Amino acid sequence: MQKRKIDWTIVFLSAIVLILAFIAWRRGGVALALTGLKLGGEILLNVTPLLLAAFLIAGLAQVLVSRQMVEQWLGSSSGWRGILLACLAGALIPGGPYVYYPIAGSLLGSGAGVGVLVAFVTAKNLWSITRLPYEFALLGSYLTLLRFGLTLVVPPLLGFAAEALFGRTIGRIREMAPWT
Amino acid sequence: MDLATLVLILLALILLAVAIRRGDGSHTRAIRQGWVTLRRTLPLLIVAFIIVGYVNALEPQALVRSWLGPGTGLTGLLVGTAAGMLLPGGPYVVFPLIATIYQSGAGLGPTLAMITSWSTLALLSVSFELPFLGWRFSALRLSLGLPIPLLVGLVAHLLHAS
Repeated sequence: MQKRKIDWTIVFLSAIVLILAFIAWRRGGVALALTGLKLGGEILLNVTPLLLAAFLIAGLAQVLVSRQMVEQWLGSSSGWRGILLACLAGALIPGGPYVYYPIAGSLLGSGAGVGVLVAFVTAKNLWSITRLPYEFALLGSYLTLLRFGLTLVVPPLLGFAAEALFGRTIGRIREMAPWT
Repeated sequence: MDLATLVLILLALILLAVAIRRGDGSHTRAIRQGWVTLRRTLPLLIVAFIIVGYVNALEPQALVRSWLGPGTGLTGLLVGTAAGMLLPGGPYVVFPLIATIYQSGAGLGPTLAMITSWSTLALLSVSFELPFLGWRFSALRLSLGLPIPLLVGLVAHLLHAS
């Protein structure tokens, strides 16, 4: 029998919806409670074309950039070249944390250094070509470009800092990684 | 049509052309993949936008301005950073919420601190990090990353003020 996993995010968000609906009802009766629903639907419809494009881009990136490509690329890389490559790989790798953390874990296992791992995760978080479309679609170009511009140097910088400060702790990190 | 729409559609078309040129059915697999992701995230999207709708209907301007407004200084940056760490869900859930908070009167600095903090420090994704990289790595990465949202917010605030 297949065990269904509970998606806690949706449970949590649904609870927030109920709380907000209750507040709206208390403040303005059924009318305000319905206004919330109506506004939400309208805003969602407005961004639908953008969202469709974003989902298409995410799907294309997933097919065009494979896990094997990234792992081969970064296998046992280290040093400043490895850190820059890791930034590029992080930017290109599609998927959520359940995708890139397993990859980072296997990179750790195959000999990647602290700087490479920090650069990979940070670039995924700040340069991700699959996250940026959603950001553009939902936050608008002004906030997105400003955010991207201001954090552009962060992934390599954090990678270099991690390597310089904690490079020698990689042995202990690898030792304690739960899967070893 | 705004810049965001234009950029996204252009990017989708370029990638689609690359996929088609591969000649191995990459494009149909990609479209199917995108569709699967969309279907899986649709319930979350709908719930997230209902929240956005309620936040708009309840007019939280006064509340937002007092915690995250342009005049809140360091407090606003700290609140923005903390909120970013706690926001649950993927980009399609979090970005609409942040957009609503921004439109309700949050300052540019606190807003950017929140986006950056959710991007790099979200506690929900740390829960995926721990099983694969261990707490020592998470602690190291988070402590290096903690000042980043505050700095980004500060620079944005100064840019905006000048």
